[in-house]
Amino acid sequence: MIYFDHAATSPPLSSALKCAERYLQECYFNPSARYAGARDASAALEHARETLLNAAADGMRYSLVFTSGGTEADNTAIFSAAKRGNIVTDEGEHAAVYECFKSVKASGGDARFAPLHRDGSVDADALLSHVDEKTTLVSVMHVNNETGAINDINALAKRVKEKNPRCLFMSDGVQAFAKIPVYLNGAVDFYAVSAHKIGGVKGTGALFCKKGVSLSPRLLGGGQEGGLRSGTENVFGAVCFASAAKERLAAIAEHAARVTALRETLWERLDRKVFTRISPENGSPYLLTVAAKGMRGEVLQRMLWDKGVAVGTGSACNSKKPYSRVIAACGYGNDLLNGVLRASFSPETTEEEIGVCARAMNECAAEWKA
Amino acid sequence: MEKVIIIRYAEIHLKGKNRGYFEHVFAVNLERSLRGIRHELHRTNGRYLVAKFEESRAEEIASRIARVFGIHSYSHGYRTESSMEAVFEAAKLVSPQSGTFKVETHRGDKRFPLTSPEISRELGARLLAQYPALNVDVHTPQAAVYVDIRENGFALVFGSYEKGVGGMPVSTSGKGLLLISGGIDSPVAGYMMAKRGMCVNYLHFHSYPYTSDMAKEKVLSLAKQLSRYALTEELTTVSVTHIQEEIHAKCAAELNVTLLRRFMFRIAELIALKRGDQCLITGESLGQVASQTIEGMTSSNAVVSLPVLRPLVGFDKEEIILRAKEIGTFETSILPYEDCCTVFLPEHPAIKPKLSFIEEEEAKLNVEELVEEALAGAQRLKLF
Repeated sequence: MIYFDHAATSPPLSSALKCAERYLQECYFNPSARYAGARDASAALEHARETLLNAAADGMRYSLVFTSGGTEADNTAIFSAAKRGNIVTDEGEHAAVYECFKSVKASGGDARFAPLHRDGSVDADALLSHVDEKTTLVSVMHVNNETGAINDINALAKRVKEKNPRCLFMSDGVQAFAKIPVYLNGAVDFYAVSAHKIGGVKGTGALFCKKGVSLSPRLLGGGQEGGLRSGTENVFGAVCFASAAKERLAAIAEHAARVTALRETLWERLDRKVFTRISPENGSPYLLTVAAKGMRGEVLQRMLWDKGVAVGTGSACNSKKPYSRVIAACGYGNDLLNGVLRASFSPETTEEEIGVCARAMNECAAEWKA
Repeated sequence: MEKVIIIRYAEIHLKGKNRGYFEHVFAVNLERSLRGIRHELHRTNGRYLVAKFEESRAEEIASRIARVFGIHSYSHGYRTESSMEAVFEAAKLVSPQSGTFKVETHRGDKRFPLTSPEISRELGARLLAQYPALNVDVHTPQAAVYVDIRENGFALVFGSYEKGVGGMPVSTSGKGLLLISGGIDSPVAGYMMAKRGMCVNYLHFHSYPYTSDMAKEKVLSLAKQLSRYALTEELTTVSVTHIQEEIHAKCAAELNVTLLRRFMFRIAELIALKRGDQCLITGESLGQVASQTIEGMTSSNAVVSLPVLRPLVGFDKEEIILRAKEIGTFETSILPYEDCCTVFLPEHPAIKPKLSFIEEEEAKLNVEELVEEALAGAQRLKLF
């Protein structure tokens, strides 16, 4: 099978699993316990924390809290910051952010949504126009998970702070971390990341937090993670995450250049009479979203699966909401909305796989027409 | 003294000479529902006893048998020897310790030295002495202690009656084939026929890849839930993708659903005849959607000779939903996976299709070949 749905989840790197296996099998101790074995576990956890932290930020200015994944990291940051005034985000956010904002709005809060450009990136001027002296939080994702568009979060955060220095800025970095270069510049207060998108295991994520910015815990209990995230620490997951990130970061530029070329090859080989490109050329190397005119993405997806190719669609399809709200927010009409397909890659993706995928996509579209 | 669950059955006593048969089938169904739990099932005159089980599993057993059609009520209780001492020991366990109560006795064994009222009085007095906070109220007691002195030297002592699901034992009223979609109605229709004692087999039509695997999973899960009552063990699935494609390509769009349903009925009948099912069952309700008009039903009926039972035909959607909630299929039914792909749905389906027009359009298709092809791809899936 050719697996082109790495933006949904990516298989764990065997090197990372091997590196972390010890913390499942031998050093399974609760890191909070006081005996020597447990200290070994807690040291591994701290080492993982340091590795991840320094991979994307200055460890002196930021701290890192492990969570159960990107969704929890997003929720923790948003509900910590959204206590009064208004909060601002954009129409392109992942549900883990978008639904939090909607929930704030539903309970009477002032949540504002900025429009998108056609490629899925946020309209920065419109975003800024929503920010005022009462804004407490702005949230903009780093890489759009549906189109691959990249938002310059450091620049956006700076502009937000210039307008309102007390406003906090967060970013969902799930599709960016260890895939495209990122180094938080101090204007970004929260940055949410997830392990299983880069070769770690599911159930592990983290939230970068600017030091001095207060965070209120979503889970109370034994006071782990400095009281910010109670629950016995997932040492295995954290070690896996750090190891995978380290491996990905070591060759981030080479991988990006190669996969960008593969992405363009796929696009070149697709039947232009059928497919419209939605992903921007300057977006994430790892993602190509296209729309097949007059067809349904989820049906094409099943036809492709039967040909041995796994790709994603615009969103989980259901009869009540058969298209993606994000692609709709990009300004696409009904003829394309239903036919969205997302191919997402990993550094291991090969040119041969790209060829097979392109052929299969063209074939499925032709079968549909017949 | 031994913990038991006492089961009383519903309508079976109405069946004169067939009673033995009904009782036998009911016992078989009880055993099937208790598969995987160690127990013994005893039949005594007019009731069943579940005994020799681990006490920690009593609630699990009760929840399973409460769903077996034919059960009128059940009680948690004790089986003891029929001596006053032993009965009192059991009564202490089932009696409340405060509030008002009464003792009600049934004496099947007329050799027992005390009469029923005497037993009630004697036990009541002993319980009052045992639990000082207890009071007697024979008219509207908060709780009761029931004693049943049986002929075989045993007594049953229990504290309350729990209602069972009623109906007739599944498999005592023939066999039918249920056309089960992913919707709210068809599981309810199947439930109602099973409740009247029919052995209900399941048939599901899908149109992969236009419908998803999730839709099939959903039907599997519905079928499993329904089977907690109907005790059916497998589901047959048939793909109608090619049929839908052919209809879409060659026939008038407004007859899309009408024609598809005729195909479904034909296929269903062939499967039913092969496995000995005596009728088809659908969840249709008059006027609910465009294809469920009397004209629509007539056009489907025209292609089969087996009777088509539609137990929901006179029900409102709300009534059906209420039942689906009771059965426990509602939550699954409303999951958003399509069962009949909207790609092929016409904007304005024919509400009152004329049979002559339908037949004219159908003549454009090779019906026999399409049916055969669909049948060849039928799959049987085990539910358990």
